[in-house]
Amino acid sequence: MAFEPRIIAFTCNWCAYAGADYAGVSRIQYPANVRIIRVMCSGRIEPAFILKAFESGADGVLVGGCHEADCHYKTGNMRAKEGVESTGRLLDLLGLGSDRLRIKWVNANEGEQFAEEITDFVKALKKLGPNPLKKARQRVLKAPSLDDSIESTNAMLCVECGKCTASCPVARRNPEFSPRKLVEYSLENLVSDLEKTDGIWECLTCATCEERCPFDVRFSDFIYQRRVASKEIRDNKVGTKSGLMYSWMRIMASEGIRQNRTSFTDGMRIKRSASSKNDIMYFVGCLPYYEISHSYIRPGSLDIAKNTISILNAAGITPVVLENECCCGHDLLAAGDTESFETLAKKNAKAIKEAGVRRVVFSCPEGYLTFSREYPRVIKNWDIDVMHITELTSKLLDEKKISFNKTLEMKVTYQDPCRLGRHMGIYEAPRKVINSIPGVELVEMKHSGADAICCGVSSWVLCGATSKCIQIDRLEEACSTGADALLTSCPKCLIHFRCALSGKVPTEREKPAIDVHDITSIIAKAMKAPGVKSTSEAKPISKTEKKKGKPVPTKKAAKKSPKAQESVKKKQG
Amino acid sequence: MSDSVLVIGGGVCGIQASLDLGDKGYDVYLVEKKPSIGGRMALLDKVFPTNDCSICILAPKMITCFNHSKIEVITYAEVEKLQGRSGNFSVRVRKHSRYIDESKCTGCGSCAEECVLSNRIPNEWDEGLGKRAAVYIPFAQAVPRAALVDPESCLLFTKGKCKSKCLTACAREAIDFKMKDEIINLNVGSIIVATGLDIFDPTPVTEYGYGRFENVIHSMEYERLINAGGPTGGNLTRRSDGERPKRIAYIQCVGARDLKSGHPYCCSVCCMYATKDAMLAYMHNGDTENFIFYTDIRAFGRGFDEYIRRGRDEYKIKYIRARPGEITEDEKTKNLYIWYDDTESGGVKKLEVEMVVLSVAFVPPKGIEKLAKTLGVESDKFGFFKARDDLLAPMDTNVPGVFIAGACTRPMDVTDAVTQGGAAADRAAHEIEENRAKVEVKVGKER
Repeated sequence: MAFEPRIIAFTCNWCAYAGADYAGVSRIQYPANVRIIRVMCSGRIEPAFILKAFESGADGVLVGGCHEADCHYKTGNMRAKEGVESTGRLLDLLGLGSDRLRIKWVNANEGEQFAEEITDFVKALKKLGPNPLKKARQRVLKAPSLDDSIESTNAMLCVECGKCTASCPVARRNPEFSPRKLVEYSLENLVSDLEKTDGIWECLTCATCEERCPFDVRFSDFIYQRRVASKEIRDNKVGTKSGLMYSWMRIMASEGIRQNRTSFTDGMRIKRSASSKNDIMYFVGCLPYYEISHSYIRPGSLDIAKNTISILNAAGITPVVLENECCCGHDLLAAGDTESFETLAKKNAKAIKEAGVRRVVFSCPEGYLTFSREYPRVIKNWDIDVMHITELTSKLLDEKKISFNKTLEMKVTYQDPCRLGRHMGIYEAPRKVINSIPGVELVEMKHSGADAICCGVSSWVLCGATSKCIQIDRLEEACSTGADALLTSCPKCLIHFRCALSGKVPTEREKPAIDVHDITSIIAKAMKAPGVKSTSEAKPISKTEKKKGKPVPTKKAAKKSPKAQESVKKKQG
Repeated sequence: MSDSVLVIGGGVCGIQASLDLGDKGYDVYLVEKKPSIGGRMALLDKVFPTNDCSICILAPKMITCFNHSKIEVITYAEVEKLQGRSGNFSVRVRKHSRYIDESKCTGCGSCAEECVLSNRIPNEWDEGLGKRAAVYIPFAQAVPRAALVDPESCLLFTKGKCKSKCLTACAREAIDFKMKDEIINLNVGSIIVATGLDIFDPTPVTEYGYGRFENVIHSMEYERLINAGGPTGGNLTRRSDGERPKRIAYIQCVGARDLKSGHPYCCSVCCMYATKDAMLAYMHNGDTENFIFYTDIRAFGRGFDEYIRRGRDEYKIKYIRARPGEITEDEKTKNLYIWYDDTESGGVKKLEVEMVVLSVAFVPPKGIEKLAKTLGVESDKFGFFKARDDLLAPMDTNVPGVFIAGACTRPMDVTDAVTQGGAAADRAAHEIEENRAKVEVKVGKER
């Protein structure tokens, strides 16, 4: 049977839908490959809806709205246009191709044009072939029971002292939320449907409570497990941007995907597979996607990726960057979708094995955390050496592989990301790197290290007034240190803070006057990278060197300091 | 064979054990690491549940012990080596040099007055809150009442030169900068270990800001501040501005009942002493409002529960069931905000107070591992000495002839420490008698 594409058409109530209707009553013929979904305004069509259609198997998506300057809601159609443009770029990255997505202005009396558009689209899609995505076969995982969670997270040791709630950045601003009550009610069997409460989604899993709990109740784990038991994530009720990120993450977990995500590396030294077992892979993560999905706040995500590669290049390292690297799965895991997480983990593990890589460096603490803690649980014989870029930079500085040539006269403060700090126990490396940059003065905020306050959103679960309030408070704290800039080492902290600074703040609050940067940006700046040429000593590990039996210079860099390892163990223990 | 007993540790427990043994007629060597006996009790202001003045009831015992004809008190000394076995231990004790002849010194204090560093060195007996000289008498009721030179601060030792005014000030010519450590070899039949406790250093509990905020202090500092013999003469004042605090919060279980700090056990006395501390603040200032943040009130001893009720009803102490999550500071007033989840009414609240006292955990004393190794005595996982059998041989250890008593076995209050001191004395005497009987049987057979 010949391929018949399936098209989802989102049409606005006033123009495009009326146009389609006009085509119908005028008996204008067009292929029956389209399913129309009527919305009040094309401006309602979020990128998430479009990705969701593709995730569900649509071969093409059409967004239909009023002609420019003709929108019933003044500018809804322009909003739709922007959304479709950025979604097209996401589709290009995902390898699905932006030509599967169209936007068309159709007036109420343009039945002819509507029919023509559909006919043309069907023709084009027939040429493109079917949507390559196929749902990967996934193991059905049983959600842990409440009793299991209570047992495995030490919740049964809880004495209900309330130290968690009194430490919680959410509970302080939202009286409805109380970690103590969640655990207490679970223990006393007072809630039969914990999974249906909002509580389990409001938690930031920032681990401040865990850090301070005298009885070592691992509340983040407890929340993770209860989220698995809830199926709400599948309905995208809790995802920010209507679950756009979850959609692309699940698309990456599908079979048949061939991404096209590494164009940003043009002109930089990278390779596709390891030539020696000491070669370092750079796990880029979702950065190219965030650059598009959050373009309106200038998220600086791709800069992080570029700067990371240039730091590595300057140290004479040619990193492996995979063409078809997938999301690490952190966010889906945190949102309770363990099945998709497992699929992503297996895909990444396979790709990494095929590339012959044994060591991976991250610019994102979430990938770092997931690779070191979660992958060993689902991947057999997982023995990949992982490190954060700040750890590697600190090692490279020690080994004099890199140096700072430029003096940056600035005062900075540092945000410890929850995943890098409390979850992984890494506080020293970023500070050491910052302090070794000439001219940079590091001042600490009132809450720093293990007491650092979360950036307000985690794993793309919910973002509302509480999140914004946490962000503004934190930025004000950063401002009060007198620093010129707030540095962080997590791309998501950067996005969330920049979002708060972009004007999306509660109306009565003023925007704090401080810049936010990723730590890699000032490292690269101080190294004068890109464009730094590696010296002869710091060349990538070549075969000749290996033959000579010289000590491999980057070998040590992979290993964490004993102290760091100890703290990690402590955390894991 | 020896009929004498070595008691290690000169706190209230060790003193009680020594007195009981001495009164029975045994020769006792009481070895104390610090320059004065008395231990922690000598530094407290009052003791619960009677609110007796601590030093007033202890000092007579200290003096009696020191002057007892059967007890030889060796202060500023440590046990270095142990050989032999029950009935015939030989012990090597190192008596640190005080640089002052104890037999000549009258404890007049002239040397300290004349010292160029007078009132310049933080006094460890006052938790560093008060100042002393490089040559000093530890505290007013110290026994023996003799001065000592601290070589770590004395200019003659650190810089190599000093006017040494102390030498001329001392009419008795007791100061001798050339004095060396003394090695004392003892032969004893049994040993009692009563080395007491240390307190948990709350600095790592960063959320409570100890060390960062001037008006957050720990309970031992509080004892010294409210003590008439302490650095402020009993005026409870804030470190930041010297004012009397009108609102004080006490936070319980800091470092105790805490799996992560390594002290999952209950300190067993903090509920009581925090109540006592709050009562004292109320008695001193009258208008003080006191808030005790507790996890559970554990008032299990005789008269304890009544004591807590008196605290609530007569001294207007407010008991709040919560472990605060965080303490923040008002930079201008240096007042403190306590963030807590009121577990009875629910909801995160913020309480402004002028001083915070952290009721810190009791931990095994520093150097206990070394002593355990020297003596061959087993420790439990927290570092406290382990009894041979907690139920039926609580004073005995794995080493026959070596007994344990007091807070080096677990956190305990004064009453328990005294009881255990007596019990251990009895066990030690019994051991000697048993050994004597064995020898007599042997000798009898040979005849």
